[in-house]
Amino acid sequence: MQTRQAFDGQRRDQHGPDRRTLLKAAGIGLFAFNVAGVEVLLSPAEARARGAVLSVLSAEDAALLEAFGEALVPGARAAGIAHFVDANLARPHHESLLTVRYLDVLPPHDAFYRAGLAALDAASRAVLGVPFVQASAAAAKPLIAAMLPGTIAPWQGPPAALFYLTVRSDAADLVYGTRAAFDRMQVPYLAHIDPPSDW
Amino acid sequence: MTGSHTASAQAPKRTDAVIVGAGAAGNLFAAVLAEAGKSVLVLDPGPAWKAGDLYSSSIWSRRLRWGGPPVESTGANAFGAGFNMGWGTGGAALHHYGTWPRLMPSDFTMKSEFGKGLDWPIGYDDLRPFYDRVQEEVGVSGDAEAEVWRPAGAPYPLPPLQQFAQARLLAKGFHAKGMKTAPSPMAILSQDYKGRPACLYDGWCDAGCPIGALANPLVTYHPRAVKGGARFVNGAHVTQLIPGKTTRQAAGVEYVDSTGTTHTALADIVILAASTVSNPSILLNSKGGDWTNGAGNGSGLVGRYFMTHSIASVYGFFDDEETENYMGVTGAQATNMDHYGKQSLGGGAFGSLQWQLAPTMKPNDLLGVAMARADLFGADLTAFMERAVHHLAVMFGFGEGLPLLENRIELSDRIGPGGMKTPRVVHSFAPESVKVSEMAAQLGLGIIKAGGASEPWAGPMATAHMMGGTIMGNDPSASVTDSFGRSHEIDNLVIAGPGLFPTAGAMNPNFTNHALALRSAEHLVERWLS
Ligand SMILES: Cc1cc2nc3c(=O)[nH]c(=O)nc-3n(C[C@H](O)[C@H](O)[C@H](O)COP(=O)(O)OP(=O)(O)OC[C@H]3O[C@@H](n4cnc5c(N)ncnc54)[C@H](O)[C@@H]3O)c2cc1C
Ligand code: SF4
Repeated sequence: MQTRQAFDGQRRDQHGPDRRTLLKAAGIGLFAFNVAGVEVLLSPAEARARGAVLSVLSAEDAALLEAFGEALVPGARAAGIAHFVDANLARPHHESLLTVRYLDVLPPHDAFYRAGLAALDAASRAVLGVPFVQASAAAAKPLIAAMLPGTIAPWQGPPAALFYLTVRSDAADLVYGTRAAFDRMQVPYLAHIDPPSDW
Repeated sequence: MTGSHTASAQAPKRTDAVIVGAGAAGNLFAAVLAEAGKSVLVLDPGPAWKAGDLYSSSIWSRRLRWGGPPVESTGANAFGAGFNMGWGTGGAALHHYGTWPRLMPSDFTMKSEFGKGLDWPIGYDDLRPFYDRVQEEVGVSGDAEAEVWRPAGAPYPLPPLQQFAQARLLAKGFHAKGMKTAPSPMAILSQDYKGRPACLYDGWCDAGCPIGALANPLVTYHPRAVKGGARFVNGAHVTQLIPGKTTRQAAGVEYVDSTGTTHTALADIVILAASTVSNPSILLNSKGGDWTNGAGNGSGLVGRYFMTHSIASVYGFFDDEETENYMGVTGAQATNMDHYGKQSLGGGAFGSLQWQLAPTMKPNDLLGVAMARADLFGADLTAFMERAVHHLAVMFGFGEGLPLLENRIELSDRIGPGGMKTPRVVHSFAPESVKVSEMAAQLGLGIIKAGGASEPWAGPMATAHMMGGTIMGNDPSASVTDSFGRSHEIDNLVIAGPGLFPTAGAMNPNFTNHALALRSAEHLVERWLS
């Protein structure tokens, strides 16, 4: 049972999916996504494949997040990183499943992601001469490698290392943290209680 | 009266005791007071977690962490508040790892022995009987004889937990260096105990142990509290203490429920057990009556001497063996305390060090395999993961952080429930404490190499556990409470939790937290009944 926190619930619920749908979704473990005007419960990978509407991130931000996530952890794009992050940003803070909760980034976290993505894109344009989504893997590599040590320049946004760690963790959750991923790596999952969804 | 979880609308307006926080200390106090026949109300802002909520997933376990008003964290060695704070019934102890070493006698006398830090108002011998009783109550597994460093105390009620390849491989390095290892003392059942089942070694403790093999409050003191008649109200965020008739009295507490409605809970005794961060923030926000500087804060020390442990993580590959790093428990399988002596590391380091070997690593999450090399990405990360999930081993060196006046929990400018200010944690390690962690990393690299690991490396220094902020002491001008957690300034206010520790040692704090809470709760009942 989740209780609702008075201080942030109101603001979030204004633009988030219907509250009852969310609770129901939490119960069986999927997220509520809008596909062609119909609200359906899907995993992030399915949501991406079916072109589900994003509720917090813009299409440009989502494309950028997918490109960055994929560059960090191959497989993150198809696993639905943008839809995973988007669905969690739409939830009240205390129901979020994102690692950013652990990293002492003050909410609202949608602003954090937007600012980080904008900084990355600006750095790519300045250094590589192209938007990040158009940068080749080889060209993007040194730019990304400069994020954790904080030597990336220009950089105007949240600390580059923090943003790198956040998105890398989201991508790692999807690519390495699911039962399917454990199976792929031949790591026994050994669940007491299976997580509600296999992202 | 039957104990239960109650909606705030039906919560009793007056009880003998109101307990703020349904975590480790709160549940222990609730059990002892309720069993003594006292009416008890326990308030917690988080959910009424049940075993069925504890999904085996590092992703889902994030719901269990602090979900209340954001806590700011700053300083040269900023503390990981988001990872270390729990909420809801069970608190952080619901998903803690159950590594339960005792503090050592020298942790209590640091100031008088070494002229550094602070002294406790009690010694190890005062706590020893309570350690012994708590371990019997909740079930601790270990091998007291093998722990050659262990202070005097009853042997563990249960034999040690099973060990897996990772522990055996890491132990080789210690033995090659002439150092000892012993099974880690764990509040996890190696055998069925008091109706609870033995551990299955799946390593999901970080997500909470739904079978109850790990001593989380849901299977230890919470059922006793409920049976004794304690009432639990969830979704209840306590904002401040309400002043009583005199400055030396609290009438009760104010809290805001999940609809935003403000309530009062009046009581003869107020027990603050809302965690090391929230206890000072509630006190500092309590400015009613004559408490202009916050409740119980005449000394100006509420929030001061916040402490955390440094963690040196040391990794290495054992390519010829399956390390089974996904098996075992999240805490640790084996320990070494050869460098627990405050000055044993030399080289400008001051403070204790203990090693915990071979925690389970799941592929993702903060303590998982992918994070072991946060610098890798793309194809390099893919290659690393394929190798590491089967061949990586890790050990953590927990280092003592000295108590420094300037490390503190203070109020930020942000506004939370009830219009109260939210907490900010300011933390930097003393240079001697940084040295402990640096030397631990060097020492650990030598050890793991000696055990045959290839390509060893040390991760960046991290932090774990939270202590101090409402420290105990004999002198009211130099501490917040006495040795029983009673406020020096408010006669019917008791504070509980590791926030009371005047020094942190290098030991995981929850066993000492329990021993202190049992001592305080029984003392409170004795005085009440007489
Ligand atoms: C991931 C993790 C692993 C750990 N592993 C170990 C370990 O292996 N060994 C060990 O010894 N220790 C470990 N710990 C630490 C241990 O869990 C804590 O020391 C212990 O839980 C502290 O007890 P407490 O009662 O002070 O706080 P908690 O158990 O956290 O309980 C505090 C409660 O107060 C509530 N609260 C907060 N603010 C308010 C408010 N304003 N009003 C009302 N209620 C409030 C919270 O919701 C929470 O439920 C670990 C902690 C974490 C997070
Ligand atoms: S490893 Fe043991 S203690 Fe940890 S969750 Fe599994 S059964 Fe519980």
